[in-house]
Amino acid sequence: MKIIALGTLAAALVCATPTIAKDSAPEFKSVEAKHFPRAEGVELSPAFSDYLYAELRAELTKAKLFGQVLGEDEVVDDADAAKSLVIIGTIMEYKKGSVVKDALIGFGAGMRSLKVDATVSRRSNQQSVTAIHVHVKVSPRWDEKVMAKFAAKNIVKQLKDSLKAEARAA
Amino acid sequence: MDSQRVALMRWVVTVCVLAGIRAHAEDPKPTPENTISVQLAEPVRPQAFARPLKFFLVDVIDRSGNAQPMMVLKLRGGIFLDRTPVEITRAGLEACLKSANMLATDRDSADFLLTIYLFNFGLSDSSRMDFFGKVEFAAMLKNPKTSKSQQVAAAGTSIAGTAFRKKNIQKNVQEDIERAFADALRNLLRGVKLRDAVTALDVPADAPPAAQAPGAAAGTNKPPVNESEFPF
Repeated sequence: MKIIALGTLAAALVCATPTIAKDSAPEFKSVEAKHFPRAEGVELSPAFSDYLYAELRAELTKAKLFGQVLGEDEVVDDADAAKSLVIIGTIMEYKKGSVVKDALIGFGAGMRSLKVDATVSRRSNQQSVTAIHVHVKVSPRWDEKVMAKFAAKNIVKQLKDSLKAEARAA
Repeated sequence: MDSQRVALMRWVVTVCVLAGIRAHAEDPKPTPENTISVQLAEPVRPQAFARPLKFFLVDVIDRSGNAQPMMVLKLRGGIFLDRTPVEITRAGLEACLKSANMLATDRDSADFLLTIYLFNFGLSDSSRMDFFGKVEFAAMLKNPKTSKSQQVAAAGTSIAGTAFRKKNIQKNVQEDIERAFADALRNLLRGVKLRDAVTALDVPADAPPAAQAPGAAAGTNKPPVNESEFPF
């Protein structure tokens, strides 16, 4: 009896595996993230943009939403352009924060903050897929690059949610 | 008796502090245990051009200004590269071009000459929670027939997690630099910038070298002459 039950379970698992694999196939073949320029008045180190770009690419690779994460300004075949996305964004605001305010007042006062706006569009017709707004707040004692990590994670999470919602609606 | 004990303690503390400072000040030395070998997992396939082209890699020049280009990490006894960044870059780029049959054997048979100026190879400043690999260079693309050239910048970045064990740190750093290096080569060989530069510099094989006026085409080496500066 046990053997039959185990056999049935194994058969069910074997049957279900291709279905799961089929569901997880990425809708878009590739995605390209561009370096996010800084808006006027944003005082961040020049390396920050590079770091944010690297973090974003790492998070996109980790998310497995796309078949391939392309490098910036990479040539894409016309046939693949319809199934390719481009992420363009700007670092809108950066507040350095204050350690004194953070220590004396607390409750979020004096936090270091970063605002990033991004647009995800199709490569073929520049049609916007989703607009992303990210606001990251960290302790003023932390390195500014930590914010890049959180911002990249947040961008990919919002993109993932948006693509899921779009797939459900379709 | 007490003063002797205090003097002895002072002496011991001084020796310990000096030894610590000396050990800290000494740069780590490369050994087989702390040396990593950076190479491409698989060659990056360059983009296809309108006509088959051959590139000749003239030189790779280190412009990083790094006194110890082979040392990628100073902490924990250091991590070193087995070859110089110049050698790694040359080998990697040649392998990529060779894989697509785009590497010219000599200067005369090449459609374009490539000179690489290496600005960054290794690890860059990170958030201390991970390793930030960065490879950055500029390729000077020259058409030997017209002697015109254009610069193409390329950069590759990668993020890898930190580790506690030295062995794992070495593994992560190696993978990080390899990914950044592959990314930089991909950025150059599959980039729009190279395609545009080749389109601007490429002339048909049968065209005479002086067909274009000097400075008329995009990407010329010499700035256009301002005639108003020469009244005679």
